[in-house]
Amino acid sequence: MLAKELSGLNEMMEEVIYSLFFPHPHLKGWRLGGSYMGMGIGWVVIATVLAVAGGVFGALAMRGEKPGRAAFFWMVLAFVAQLMALGWRGELRGQCPLGDLGEICLFLAWSLTLFYLVTGTTYRLSLLGVFTAPLVVILQVIALIPGSFASGVAKAESVDPWRETHAALSVLSYGALALAAVAGVMFFVLNGRLKSRKLSGGLVQGMPSVQRLVEAMARIALVGWIVLTAGIVAGLLMKSGSFSIHLLVATITWVLYAVLLGIHFVRGMPGRHLAIGLTSLFILSLFVFAKL
Amino acid sequence: MQLVCLGLNHETAPVEVRERFALTEAGLDRETEMLLSAEDVLEGVVLSTCNRTEYYAVVNGGSGVAELEDWICAQRNFSGSREGVFYHHEARGAAEHLCRVASGMNSMVLGETEIFGQVKKAYKRSLDGGATKTVLNKLFQKAFGVGKRVRTHTAIQEGATSVAGASVELAEKVFGKLQGSSVMVIGAGEMSRKTARALQSRGASSVMVTNRSFDKAVDLAEEIEGRAIPFQGWEEELAHLDVVIAATGAPHFVVKPAHVEAVRRKRKFRPLIMVDIAVPRDIDPKVGEIDEVYLYDIDTLQEMADEARKRREEQLLLCEEIIREEIDKSILPAVND
Repeated sequence: MLAKELSGLNEMMEEVIYSLFFPHPHLKGWRLGGSYMGMGIGWVVIATVLAVAGGVFGALAMRGEKPGRAAFFWMVLAFVAQLMALGWRGELRGQCPLGDLGEICLFLAWSLTLFYLVTGTTYRLSLLGVFTAPLVVILQVIALIPGSFASGVAKAESVDPWRETHAALSVLSYGALALAAVAGVMFFVLNGRLKSRKLSGGLVQGMPSVQRLVEAMARIALVGWIVLTAGIVAGLLMKSGSFSIHLLVATITWVLYAVLLGIHFVRGMPGRHLAIGLTSLFILSLFVFAKL
Repeated sequence: MQLVCLGLNHETAPVEVRERFALTEAGLDRETEMLLSAEDVLEGVVLSTCNRTEYYAVVNGGSGVAELEDWICAQRNFSGSREGVFYHHEARGAAEHLCRVASGMNSMVLGETEIFGQVKKAYKRSLDGGATKTVLNKLFQKAFGVGKRVRTHTAIQEGATSVAGASVELAEKVFGKLQGSSVMVIGAGEMSRKTARALQSRGASSVMVTNRSFDKAVDLAEEIEGRAIPFQGWEEELAHLDVVIAATGAPHFVVKPAHVEAVRRKRKFRPLIMVDIAVPRDIDPKVGEIDEVYLYDIDTLQEMADEARKRREEQLLLCEEIIREEIDKSILPAVND
């Protein structure tokens, strides 16, 4: 009786979500998985709307006293919605949900949000949310493109724990590396304003200091690199562990990040060079992995 | 029973008159005591800072500001022209004036925070001496509440309004907190002193002073508890610095790109903020093209200070509204009862 009522509630919520966000008939393709699929997509939509709210309200609050808080609140809610969506895909697959483009983008968006929520409070990086939210939105919009989430997914019969660990840690590391790149973009903005002496406005006022941004960039990237290391090691321990092109690219990425961070921590480099390195490495590696 | 406020400040009286009425800490107690001994004065608080001397009093019946003004001038043996020197407020006007003073709206540097503490101190002195009762106790408590609200709900104290303050603001934008940062002052003039002091007040721990005339460098270093460096050796210190303030009278560039380029590796490319407050400039503008160097000249600093002053002035209407609203909603004896 209760199950029947819950199912009815699910269907009702699905209808509401579809009528609100996907009124166009060609988007009905998402219904393939039935109401459970609709609920899952609904969580991705909600997470995307919340991330948009984080970016917009954070940007609007830049004129106020605490720009970081507005974005933080909405990103916490987005994080919860992402968890629900990942839970839906994980349950469908019976393993870590990293089997299609939609899942990878969603997992990456979740990882990025997670690192922002941890770093944003640790480093008091107000405004980081405003810069993070657009990337989260882009990733989730890609996930929402019809076809990104595979339908009719079969539940895995057996699971290779090393493969699971490799996939999860690799995407998690990319969340941190993405956040380091976001901090790099923030650095470009702040550095540009300080160098050109355009010092007024909420953007500069709400930004952390140059020193703090450089520290944050390097430390977040270091965390991402350490997690990536663990991910690569797990990849080498997989049952079907052949040294694939995928693993080769991951190793090259790992080496490039190691060189960049090594130079920064040992020899030192201007903050602008570190920001260029982190943003270009992230974009480059993302394109390479997308091609693969 | 009437609440009156009588005073003079930087807007109404020249310094030679202000210093005549200024009171030392010990003098304040005596003055308050004498004020209370005057006929018809029931309560009193005397506030004296470098820019103002004000008397807040609750007086009986027919006595008013004219009597109070005569009494004060007699106390200070002031026989000069009083025209335009004193201002006075009564009842609600006096309450609003005190709120403006406590909020920094009446200060020479609009929105400055020091005055809040000075008003608090003056009130506490009178309270401890038994010079305040119901009227002034309620009034001053209200003024402190209003002062806090004005500062937290408006931008009256935001931004630096002086060249030295703007330098600090820029340094904080680059380094965050200045605790433990190293500063070098090139030139031993007044601007150098002010800027170094401002940086010290925000936590800069190591301040070096260098000057062509070493004696002057030593004098300034002693004054600000810094370290004097011979002018011939200042470049060597560059590797360990976070902030450089240049304010010499040299007709040519003192700091050149080569100086910074020579120590970049040694500095591990850490950010370096350079503030050039000299005219003609001391730092070659090409130094600012080096990646980790943030170079600002006197024009930028002055512009920052002017903008901050403008922003503060724009807040005045909002502040006045808060004061009006706060006084409207409170019950203050001799003000709005």
